[in-house]
Order: sequence, then C-alpha cells, then structure tokens
Amino acid sequence: MSGPRPERRRSRMERRYRRLLALYPKDHRREHAEEMVGVLLAADGDAPVRAPNPAAWARRLGQHTADSADLIGGALRIRGRVVLDRIRRTRWLSWTVRDRRWSDALAVVSVIAPLLLLVAALTEFRIPQAVANSITGHPHWGVSATLGLADLPMAAGAPGVALLVFLGLRRLAGLGALATAIGQIAAGAVPAFAGYADPAVAFTVLLSCTAAVALLFSPGPDRGLALLTRGGTALVGAGALILGGFSVGGDVWFGPMDDRAPRFDDFGGKVAGLPADLLIAAVLITAAAACLRAPVSRRVLALLAIPVIPYAFLWQEKLAVDLFVQPGGGTAVIPSSIPMLYLPPLLLASLILTGTWLGRRRAGERDRQVGSATSGPRSAMSA
Amino acid sequence: MQEPTFLILTALAAGAQHGYGIMTDVTRISDGRVRLRAGTLYAALDRLKADGLVTGDREEVVDGRLRRYYRITDAGTAELAAEVRRLRANAAAAASRLGLAGGPA
Repeated sequence: MSGPRPERRRSRMERRYRRLLALYPKDHRREHAEEMVGVLLAADGDAPVRAPNPAAWARRLGQHTADSADLIGGALRIRGRVVLDRIRRTRWLSWTVRDRRWSDALAVVSVIAPLLLLVAALTEFRIPQAVANSITGHPHWGVSATLGLADLPMAAGAPGVALLVFLGLRRLAGLGALATAIGQIAAGAVPAFAGYADPAVAFTVLLSCTAAVALLFSPGPDRGLALLTRGGTALVGAGALILGGFSVGGDVWFGPMDDRAPRFDDFGGKVAGLPADLLIAAVLITAAAACLRAPVSRRVLALLAIPVIPYAFLWQEKLAVDLFVQPGGGTAVIPSSIPMLYLPPLLLASLILTGTWLGRRRAGERDRQVGSATSGPRSAMSA
Repeated sequence: MQEPTFLILTALAAGAQHGYGIMTDVTRISDGRVRLRAGTLYAALDRLKADGLVTGDREEVVDGRLRRYYRITDAGTAELAAEVRRLRANAAAAASRLGLAGGPA
C-alpha cells in the first residue's frame, strides 16, 4: 500500500515545480528545467515520505513554501539580469547624421559649443571672481551680483556639460546640454525671472540646444578635435582662454584707474559695448573655420550662426539708439522680443535640415539612376 | 562577493559537481548555516556562467533524471583566491584589534 503514495507525491511535487519553472525565461528553461526539477525532487526526497507528527508536517509545508518562493525569486533575478543585459547591450542614443560632411561639422561644433557655453557661464556669472573672492576675501575680487534661481540652469549646466565632455561622456554631456537649455527656458518662462526676451539669454539657450544636437548626433568631440588638428585646437583653446580671461578680469587688469576699487560688475562682460560672448564666439568660430576644409568649415559656420543670430538684434538696437535716438531715452527700431530673437535661428535650423534632406533625396535618386543604368543591360542579358 | 557565490565557488574548487551536490556541499562547508535552494543556486550559476567564473563540465542521466556537472574556471579560481586574501586580511585586522590569538603573524 505504501508504494504508489510516494510516487503520487513525487509527481504532484514535480507538476508544482514545473508550474513555477514556467516563470523562468525560455532559454533558461530549455537548458536547466529538467536539471532543476531533478535537484528539487532530490532535495525533497531527503525528507521522510510521511510526516510523523503535525510539527514535522508544518515544517515540511514551510520548506515547500520557501522552495516555491525561492524559485520565484530566482526567476525574477534571472529575468532582471536578462533585461539589464539587453539595456547594456543597446547602444542608446546612437543615432548619428549620415552625411559625412555634416557629421564632421557637428563633431567640430561638439567641441566649440560646450567651450563657448563654459566661457559664457564663467563670464556671465563671474564664477572665477566668486571663487577667488571666497578663497582670498580680497575686495579686488568683490562681486556684488549674486546668483538667482533663474541663473542656476546655466551656472551649473555649462560647467557640468564641459566636465562630461572632458570625461568623454558624450551622450550624457548632450543630455546635460539639453537639460541646460530646457532649464533656461523654464526659468525664463517664470514671470518673476523677467523672461528670456534677452539676446544674451537667447544666445545661451540656442547654444545649449546646438551643443546638445552636436553631442548627441555626431561622432563626438574626439572626431572634432582630430578634424581641428593640434594647431587648430591650440588656437581655439588659446582664444577661449585669452578672451574669456579678458572678459572675466578685464576691468581689474585694464579697468578705471580712479580711487574706487574696480568691481567686475562695472565691466559687465562687455567689449566695445557688445557682450563679450559675441566677440569670443566670433573669434573662436573664425579660428575653427579657418583650420577646416571648406565643406566642413561652411557647415560649422552655418551651425554656429544659429546661437549668434539673436545678437544681431542687440547690435541693431545699439545702432538704432546711437543713430536715431536722442540721449536719455528711446527705443530700438525693432525691439527685442521672443519671436524676433528665436524665430530667425529656428528658420536657419529648418533651412539646414531641409537642405540636408533634399541633398540626401537627390543623392538617393542619383544612386537609383546609376543602379538602374548598370543593372539594365544585365537584366536584358539574363532575360 | 556575496556569501552564496563564495560558497558555490568554494564547493566547486575541490572538483566538478552537479547542482544537488553543490547544495549539499555548501551546507557542509558552512556548517549547516547556509542552505542553498534551487532558485538561488541556479540564479547564481547563471550569473557565474555569464561572468565566466563557472562552466558546464559534463552531463549524465541518473534514475531517468538529467544531472549536469559544473566546474570552476581559471578566472573563477583567481576570483575566489582574491576574495580569500581579502577576507583573510580583514579577519586578521579584526583579530589584531580585538587582541585575539591567531591575529597577524
């Protein structure tokens, strides 16, 4: 009478374990299911067939429950690892522009734009002075302006992006640049922060966007530096250092020689009445373009014109004030407004996109024509 | 390295074993303190195989049931040896600070 009972029990346990094993990934089941059932039944076989008392019966029930929970936990761990492996293997954000000349131009921009962004942040927020002041406490390094909440995206984002580029984390740097742009727009959209209808803000917002696109859709700064060559990289780097340094500390080094201690706020990051950012951008972009071959340099100029365009409005305002307005008041011919600052750069970006799309289409049609011309006689022969 | 991983590698350091053999050996090595269950064992073996620390050795059928043997690889041996050195150094430091006999020589 005792013969069939252990067999029945074993097959019942086996069915139960197989149901739980269905939770495992198919590949794992195919390789290990039989073996695992064997191990589970072997472990179960160590227990006496019939529980001698209620306490032993409860212990066995506890064992089976623990085995079942352990099987479920194992399935979750293996499935979790499979998902993680898949995520790790996926080359996330790995789209790059197909056209070689545009991808090269974007690679160069992925060097210049984060550098410009860093210099813009350093000069705008007088970060070096603030650091020097906090260390030395010298009045020479006094900065009266303080960082507001609206300044944080740029003040933290730009150095962060530059650091990520330096560490070779291109995609993270691209996402950081995107976050910097979104942060500035969000901060500017809050009425209390006076909006972003300011050419200097438009410049940094559009520069962050350009940097994000360049970092996310190009082979990255390594390729950009290779294209710039060592001489070009040195020229751009020296330009950023000298002009950025002048813009940061110009008033202290060359400032007014009167009695009062010069303060950085007097200088305000301006050169000849125009923002230092603009001069630095112009010099760096010209230096970079001069070091590149024409097809790439033209594209670099087009891409970096996008953030610089809003400054044209500042210039026109200054000219209008100088030429037409009596001292003491007046407005520019075309006052700065969000559409005037942001629409022309977006138009240029759309023109670039449309141009590259049309170029790709034309190249595709040319390839098809060449393909049909070469395959025509062959198909005629085979027919 | 987690304790089950350490104990599985230790069990396999003596020679190739099948799943149930590893389970009973781990209980023996840990003096009954650690009882591996099948879910934990095969999740660990799956990871150790993926990391190249353990590999399949041979298969046999006993009483109509498949038995697959596993063995430790050279990388697994090196990893286990490194973990032994780390644990030994930690234990020696702790023993020395507690003033226990058997501290660092």
